[in-house]
Amino acid sequence: MIACLLIPGFELRAALRSRPGLSLVPAALAPDPSEEPLLGPVTAAADVVGVKPGMRLGEALATCPSLVLVDRDPASVEQAWEEVLRRLEDTGFAVDPVEHGVVVFETHGVERLYGGVRPALERALAAVGSSWDPRIGAAGRRFTALAAASVARPGQILLVAQKEEESFLEPLPLSLLPLTGERYAELEGLGLRSIGELAELPAGAVAERLGADGRKAWRLARGGRSAKVRGRKPVAELAEVLVFPEAVGNELTLRRALGSLLERLLARPERAGRPFRKLAMSARLVDGGSWRRAVTLRDATAEVARLRVALGPKLQELPAPILELRLEAVEVAEHTGQQLALVEPAGEEVSGRLREGLRQVRASTGTGSVCSVVEVAPWSRIPETRALVVPRDE
Amino acid sequence: MVTDSGNASARRTARRIAGRLNAPLPALVESEFDGTPRVVNRQLVVLVREEWRVVDRWWTEEPVDRRYFEVVLESGQNICVYRDREEGCWFTQNA
Repeated sequence: MIACLLIPGFELRAALRSRPGLSLVPAALAPDPSEEPLLGPVTAAADVVGVKPGMRLGEALATCPSLVLVDRDPASVEQAWEEVLRRLEDTGFAVDPVEHGVVVFETHGVERLYGGVRPALERALAAVGSSWDPRIGAAGRRFTALAAASVARPGQILLVAQKEEESFLEPLPLSLLPLTGERYAELEGLGLRSIGELAELPAGAVAERLGADGRKAWRLARGGRSAKVRGRKPVAELAEVLVFPEAVGNELTLRRALGSLLERLLARPERAGRPFRKLAMSARLVDGGSWRRAVTLRDATAEVARLRVALGPKLQELPAPILELRLEAVEVAEHTGQQLALVEPAGEEVSGRLREGLRQVRASTGTGSVCSVVEVAPWSRIPETRALVVPRDE
Repeated sequence: MVTDSGNASARRTARRIAGRLNAPLPALVESEFDGTPRVVNRQLVVLVREEWRVVDRWWTEEPVDRRYFEVVLESGQNICVYRDREEGCWFTQNA
């Protein structure tokens, strides 16, 4: 079975870990300054007085003048999420994180170990811990599992048998489907309220009216495709931290600190001579918030000078003086060195560049982002069955 | 305690699925009495270059019954459209 573990409002929960008192008062995650002023997740106290996630900031403050806006804390969120994933991995699940607070995994491999699906999922809940209020949905298909987790109560495990998937999805609201606000309003205008009502419509009519998005939503309304879950490769903790005795905002000092962190990271024995492919810098700000930037390198490298050039400019984006700077190796290349040939065979350089380019795309966007076209039935009279686009994750 | 609709999470599902290449796209088509397309995606059809039918998989639960037209639009674009006789609607596709 495919299981989905959901922690609603994960970013707010992670940000509130350092200020637990705020979880009992009306509070909401502040909007990102670079985006539309829409609220993030809200606390239960804010929900009671009518403040909802996704509400406009002005409207929310008019509804509840005492609303506390909690600053985003990307470094804590990343750290807390990694902790959750590692606890699940330690329990034996190969996890595929979807986003912060949502992770999908297959139970097949550990069912016999724990004595069935439910005991295995109970282990997963226990591993994450009740303080996060996790809930789990499990079904034969990914979307149904996600929908089940969305309607489950905190600490609940909702199992949907394969035969009941369609009837389970039927009464659920359309808002669970991946539709834009415009499309959602269009469907509401047509009188559709539940997933079941959309699933009953003929596929052609939905496609004609709503286009490709509509077709996808219609397919999901019928349970979606059954695809296997591919777990991520567990990453080794490779990070260095520098704590300043007082707040630092001077660029020269910051660059020197970065240089020192780079040297310490490169000297770590766990690296085993392998170059870095992706690095992340995070900082604890003087006012209590945090900052994080990830950098994917064009060529995996372990040269200090090149790493400085790639990471240095990011320090200018710091919004405030910092108390702590952390450098983390998110992804390390597999090779330890590059063996150069005296005379390169024709085309070798081009194909090498292509391989490297694909590796970079994969490193920055995740597995499944690089695909190749596979001809399956070139003779077919039906054009869309002649070839498939298959994820290429080697 | 924190609440969230959880819908945003559900919207980002089914990320990594092998897809079909050249999948048909829904098209807005007005047709003549004989079924030939007159307007495709709000552009007049200037010429119907070719027409053929594909009837296949009639023995399965997903039979294919399509009438394809290769047409030239007033903008000079060459396009293939077909009417799916099972679903009763029009699509464009590189045939």
